[in-house]
Amino acid sequence: MSLTFRLLIPLLLASFAWGEHTSNWAVLVSTSRFWFNYRHLANVLSLYRTVKRLGIPDSQIILMLPDDMACNPRNAFPGTVYNNADRALDLYGDNIEVDYRGYEVTVENFIRLMTDRVSEDMPRSKRLLTDDRSNILVYMTGHGGNEFLKFQDAEEISAFDLADAFEQMWEKKRYHEILFMIDTCQANTMYSKFYSPNILATGSSEIDQSSYSHHADNDVGVAVIDRYTYYNLDFLETQVREPTSKLTMGDLFDSYDEEKIHSHPGVRYDLFPGGEAVARSRLVMDFFGNVQNVEVEGGISRNETAWQEELAAIERMINEARRSHNESLTARPQPAAEEAKIGETKQAIRKEGAMRVDGESGWSKQLVGATALLGCVGIWAAGSWLEKL
Amino acid sequence: MALLSSILALRRDARILKLPPYLSALCILVGVVWLLVLPLNEYSRNTYVSENALLPGQVHTYFTGSEHNIFRAYRHEVAALVDKPVQERSQKLGDIFRSSSLKVATQIYEYHASGRNISNQNVYAILQGPRADATEAIVLIAAWTNMAGEINHSGVALVLTLARYFKRWSLWSKDIIFLISGDSTSGPQAWVDAYHDSHSPASIEPLSIKSGALQGAVAVDYPAGPWGHRYDKLHVVYDGVNGQLPNLDLFNTAVSIASGQMGIGCTLQRMWKHDDSYQERLQTMLRGMISQGLGHASGPHSSFIPYHIDAVTLQTVGDGWHDEMSLGRTVESLFRSLNNLLEHLHQSFFFYLLMQANRFVSIGTYLPSAMLIAVNFTITSIALWVQSGRSAPVPNPASISSKSPKPDMTVAKKDGAVTLVPTSSLTIIERRLFLPLAFVGGAHFIGLLPLYIFNNTRQTLLPTAFNSTAIFTILLPLLTAFALSLFHRPTPQETTLIQCLSLLLLGMFLSALATLNFSLSFLIGIFASPLSFIRPIHPPQPNTPSTLTTTNRKAMSAVVSVLLAALNPVVVIRAATFYWGEDIVDVLVQAAEGWHVWGLWTQVVVWLVWWPAWFAGSVVVTAGLFS
Repeated sequence: MSLTFRLLIPLLLASFAWGEHTSNWAVLVSTSRFWFNYRHLANVLSLYRTVKRLGIPDSQIILMLPDDMACNPRNAFPGTVYNNADRALDLYGDNIEVDYRGYEVTVENFIRLMTDRVSEDMPRSKRLLTDDRSNILVYMTGHGGNEFLKFQDAEEISAFDLADAFEQMWEKKRYHEILFMIDTCQANTMYSKFYSPNILATGSSEIDQSSYSHHADNDVGVAVIDRYTYYNLDFLETQVREPTSKLTMGDLFDSYDEEKIHSHPGVRYDLFPGGEAVARSRLVMDFFGNVQNVEVEGGISRNETAWQEELAAIERMINEARRSHNESLTARPQPAAEEAKIGETKQAIRKEGAMRVDGESGWSKQLVGATALLGCVGIWAAGSWLEKL
Repeated sequence: MALLSSILALRRDARILKLPPYLSALCILVGVVWLLVLPLNEYSRNTYVSENALLPGQVHTYFTGSEHNIFRAYRHEVAALVDKPVQERSQKLGDIFRSSSLKVATQIYEYHASGRNISNQNVYAILQGPRADATEAIVLIAAWTNMAGEINHSGVALVLTLARYFKRWSLWSKDIIFLISGDSTSGPQAWVDAYHDSHSPASIEPLSIKSGALQGAVAVDYPAGPWGHRYDKLHVVYDGVNGQLPNLDLFNTAVSIASGQMGIGCTLQRMWKHDDSYQERLQTMLRGMISQGLGHASGPHSSFIPYHIDAVTLQTVGDGWHDEMSLGRTVESLFRSLNNLLEHLHQSFFFYLLMQANRFVSIGTYLPSAMLIAVNFTITSIALWVQSGRSAPVPNPASISSKSPKPDMTVAKKDGAVTLVPTSSLTIIERRLFLPLAFVGGAHFIGLLPLYIFNNTRQTLLPTAFNSTAIFTILLPLLTAFALSLFHRPTPQETTLIQCLSLLLLGMFLSALATLNFSLSFLIGIFASPLSFIRPIHPPQPNTPSTLTTTNRKAMSAVVSVLLAALNPVVVIRAATFYWGEDIVDVLVQAAEGWHVWGLWTQVVVWLVWWPAWFAGSVVVTAGLFS
């Protein structure tokens, strides 16, 4: 009884630990450059601003921006990026940290970042330093198609590349749970090839369906945000106001209105342990916020007894070990010595055997050699004797 | 195997030579019908903007309000310059640009054509994009006089106002060049030549200041006087020199901004009224084809297109309620779109026929039409070549009466079998190529003569030159045929070969030309198509029964010669000018200006492709008169 109890406690503890994460990371990627793709950068910057507001620090956000809209000469408002025609909020501001910029945003760099296959001199700000207790938000936007997403007009990442990268991350214990979110045309095809566990994926549109921009700013002269991102942000900004928010991912997914988004957003639950029900019950803050000040306080009182029981169990184990050690020292020294002796003799025999084998092979070789020599001498003698005849 | 040998046996069948004329006729028929069905909904498409970067009409335009007062002031300034000498005018226009703190330069140019002296001065100013890297530029043009020779009062004033207005924006990614050219055709040509350092320095001044690679050009033609004039529609002119066209995206952007954003109707090819019926679509398309086929400059934008700079002219037409500010806002929005460009316009079509402001056919759809017409000449040419290598037909033994002379027979033996075959079917006919080659080569050389004369005659002598050329070219086939009959009577084979080689060249030239200037190739192909069906009318072979008497034969030759004379290029040109009520001298003067100033190639095609083909065909027919 006590043995099973002792075994159960750590197991239970371990399972509690598995259910939680200790850090939150965000990888925010825009994959398109050029002025007329202003909205893709605005999408990413909006998400960047939101996750920062909800507590993820810059050191845990990887921001990939392939172009610099703020400093584009075509920008009527130099140094700013807006995601709304009211231009109430400058996303660029004076406090943003772009980790990968311009032509650094490539498929290779993205996959290297995700799988951490980077050279030693890669600065920490450009690395995804996650472990098996990290929740990661991966947000991508750009121009895509069926099972691919274009990077900068030059290359594309396929759904298979992405799925393999996530599998490698899983094998390397680089994540605890991932929320994959993508806003591009035919976005849902991008997560269709995933096969690694603990991934919750959502996209803006089905196969053969375009994702649309929400509205254009007629002074900037371009569309400033995409619909799917706009309505995600709408939920995050108006509903998830505090880091203590208890809204779940289910609430977020339920907020999607196909009438407004003009495409069919999709969600993939099957990779998540526990399926749809568990995935939907995950808090929005599990992915968009930072964990430190969310769950720890509530957990202390609950874990108090378990922790003390564990201490007591360890103490019992130590006592048990000490007792058995003392017993072995005083009461039963003989058998141990015998055992040691037996071991020694066995070793010696084995050694001798080995030596004998060596010796035998040596002698036989010499015998064969001598016989051969004698044989040669005999043949020679016989030959010369025969010649004499 | 049996199939193969039966196909090879078909090769020897006399009937196969009867097929090509029908095939040629079918090609021409299909070619023409092909063109006629293009305006139908099934074969044409609605226009669309391919280039993502353009984003036409997605910006608010702010060229209103007080800018209107400035415009009116500038319009009076321009009106005051009308009677001033060129130097003073340039000085004043330059001062206005300078007052907007732009860099200004002038360019004097001088051309000579048809004994005329075309000289004037261009003024231009460069607005350097405040945050741009000065590697690219776009051009806004207003010619001092428009194509009709009217003073472009409001157009020039609008460019001056827009220069002042654009200067205050900080969002230009390219430099903007404001050009007030001395006239609508030579001035822009001198300027764009000098911009690319391909001018003749003797008569054209080099440009003292330049910017980056030109990405596009827009010209405004708004000849309303100092008191203004409200217009009804914008006439978008897009034909470049030699029938080259600007990228369809530029045209679409202009139409989309003018009609979509500003609510100004757009029209093209002088179709002032267009209710989108089949007939009007066809008419628009044919007008476009004639304009393209002539290859002349149709506005200040035309000179830019050969340098691969996409350009259009916006011309105000009619009486309506749109004012100068809506034209200004159209230009502003158009420039904001061009400003968005990341690379040269390349997404959309460069070869197209427009049949309405938002309906077009692309080269893949219309090209077969001109190609089929060019191919008809090649088919005939091949047929004539085969025919020239064949002996005279052997009469069917069953139909030979006992009276007619027996054909020569030869005894042939093969595999132990013996047969009698007509000798003529065994002999090998050699083609005598010297005379045909010399003749066709000579015909093309004679074409150089009118080419030189028309491009280098003084204006006052042009009517005489034209009339004498007309008479000379009509009489030349007659004289040539007569001379040939005197000195070296061509054999029927040689006559056939002359026609064969001439049509071969015509077919080749036209199919090559169809890819460059579809309309010119099509028009010449249509006018030359009878040349495929004329045949020399020879005196009958001694051993074949004659169906025509000598008199009938000569009468037929004469009739066909006269019909062909009506298709003489000179006669066709005269008839066309008569039909459109143009003065032939004006046309010739413009053509000469085109040759010397714009680098026009239409004359070369007329005199060195079309005319020699007509000449060879005429001589072949006229020879019947003297045989």
